[in-house]
Amino acid sequence: MNFRNTCKASSSLFRIRMAEGLQYRASAISGVFVSVFWGFLECVLFTVFYTYSDNGAWNNNGLSLSQTISYVWLAQGLFILQSMNIDGEIMAKINNGDVGVELCRPMNLYTHWFVKSSAGKLGTSWLRSLATILAGLMMPVSYALGAPASALGFACFLLSVVMAFVLCSAFAMFVTAIRLNITWGDGPTYMLLLFSGILSGTYLPLRLWPDFMQTFLYLQPFGGFADIPVQLYIGSLAPSGALPAIGLQLFWSALFIFAGRSIMTRKLKSIIVQGG
Amino acid sequence: MIAEGKIYFKYLRMHLLSGMEYKGWWLMLIQVLVVVISDPIATVLLFSRFGNIGEWTVAHIILVYSLAVASFGLAESLCRGFDYFPWQMLRSGDFDRLLLRPRSLFVQVAASRFHLHRLVRPITGICAAGWALSELGVSLTLGKIGILTMALAGGCIMYCGVFVLTSGLAFFTIKGLDWIYILTNASYQITRCPEPYMPKALKSMFSFVLPMLFISFYPAATVCGWGYPEWLGYLSLPAGAVFLGVSLLVWRFGVRHYKSTGS
Repeated sequence: MNFRNTCKASSSLFRIRMAEGLQYRASAISGVFVSVFWGFLECVLFTVFYTYSDNGAWNNNGLSLSQTISYVWLAQGLFILQSMNIDGEIMAKINNGDVGVELCRPMNLYTHWFVKSSAGKLGTSWLRSLATILAGLMMPVSYALGAPASALGFACFLLSVVMAFVLCSAFAMFVTAIRLNITWGDGPTYMLLLFSGILSGTYLPLRLWPDFMQTFLYLQPFGGFADIPVQLYIGSLAPSGALPAIGLQLFWSALFIFAGRSIMTRKLKSIIVQGG
Repeated sequence: MIAEGKIYFKYLRMHLLSGMEYKGWWLMLIQVLVVVISDPIATVLLFSRFGNIGEWTVAHIILVYSLAVASFGLAESLCRGFDYFPWQMLRSGDFDRLLLRPRSLFVQVAASRFHLHRLVRPITGICAAGWALSELGVSLTLGKIGILTMALAGGCIMYCGVFVLTSGLAFFTIKGLDWIYILTNASYQITRCPEPYMPKALKSMFSFVLPMLFISFYPAATVCGWGYPEWLGYLSLPAGAVFLGVSLLVWRFGVRHYKSTGS
């Protein structure tokens, strides 16, 4: 099948999933509520640590309190891009054997699922993300999301967010490809998703992790989920450092796509279709 | 009452045995253990970077936090059915079948699920509390153990109340219940903040709406002697019971207004 038809099919798949995601507005509002509560709690915690702790004044690795608070809100907004589990529809297809039906379609399975899962995530989450960030902007001054460090930094941030979306989707597909090996169950994929979440900086800004881990934390793939874009916004990563950082995101995305694709093609050669 | 208790344990035994039929059942134990341990990592790392907050060391926080987590875990193990109720039993319409049986609804729903791996959370929590107590140099007397046990029991009852409340509300809103997450998994996160530095609004919400501080912070304060009135530490059981009572009223109201869903 040629390139143009693939693009056309992808864009309609994307539209269908986006429209589907918008159906569940009540659950989206409810989700925003939780994100805002969580963000607020983190703000309180960081304020306590920065203000009252023994080493609060100096030992923050170049991340001031107002920067950290902006970090918290943006990370809450970006957190939604990360998947905590494999796309429900695809998971069901793997478990009940509809993979067979999917293979009959005249479209590469990897591309098909990539578009489907990323659109599914975007459809439900972009409203949630925006609402959370908006709530962050409207908080009382000491807990509010601040302005970007510079106009250039903001532009880099936007570019990096797009890359973060690609990276998250690529990683989710990598995990899905592993999950095609049905006999392993949920365990390994669940662990992978959990570790990626912890290392993405949404648990704790990566800068505040121990100093000896900093190089590792910069180079590992999951910082690209949230940490790199957010740092570009708050200015702890200067725009001059943006190019290598975004390059890093690009590199890991390419690697995950390559790995996901090759695992999938290998797996599909010997796949056992479940169910009937 | 005794008959209901028998049924409850029969149900649990059945779920336990059927769960063990899966070959990799112990993998789940490890998985939950990783989740439980990774959860307070952020707090520990913050303490290692910023140092103590006044008198508050990492052991203080871990003690309060682990009490809360352990009681949450206990409730999750014993009342797992209510946790699933809004998402599965109600939507699928399976609840109608329970209504036909001449046994207590509460027992039937509570015991409709049981997973062994849920017990990992309370066990880890209790171990962590033990570590924190020894770190703080508190010698355990019988009375202190009594207070801590009461705190766990009260907390377990309170979280059961949360699950029952969720299920009760689910009769009215079949979807859009995600906000309840604030009362479950997000609620014990507030114990990561030292109580004296907590904002007033947060403090009153988590003592009078959800009696979170009564089941974690005040018992810990009484046991370690942090200079709070001692009687506050004994309030865990009554506070949890009141919360469960209110939740049961909501649940009753919901059941009475239940019109079947699903097919």
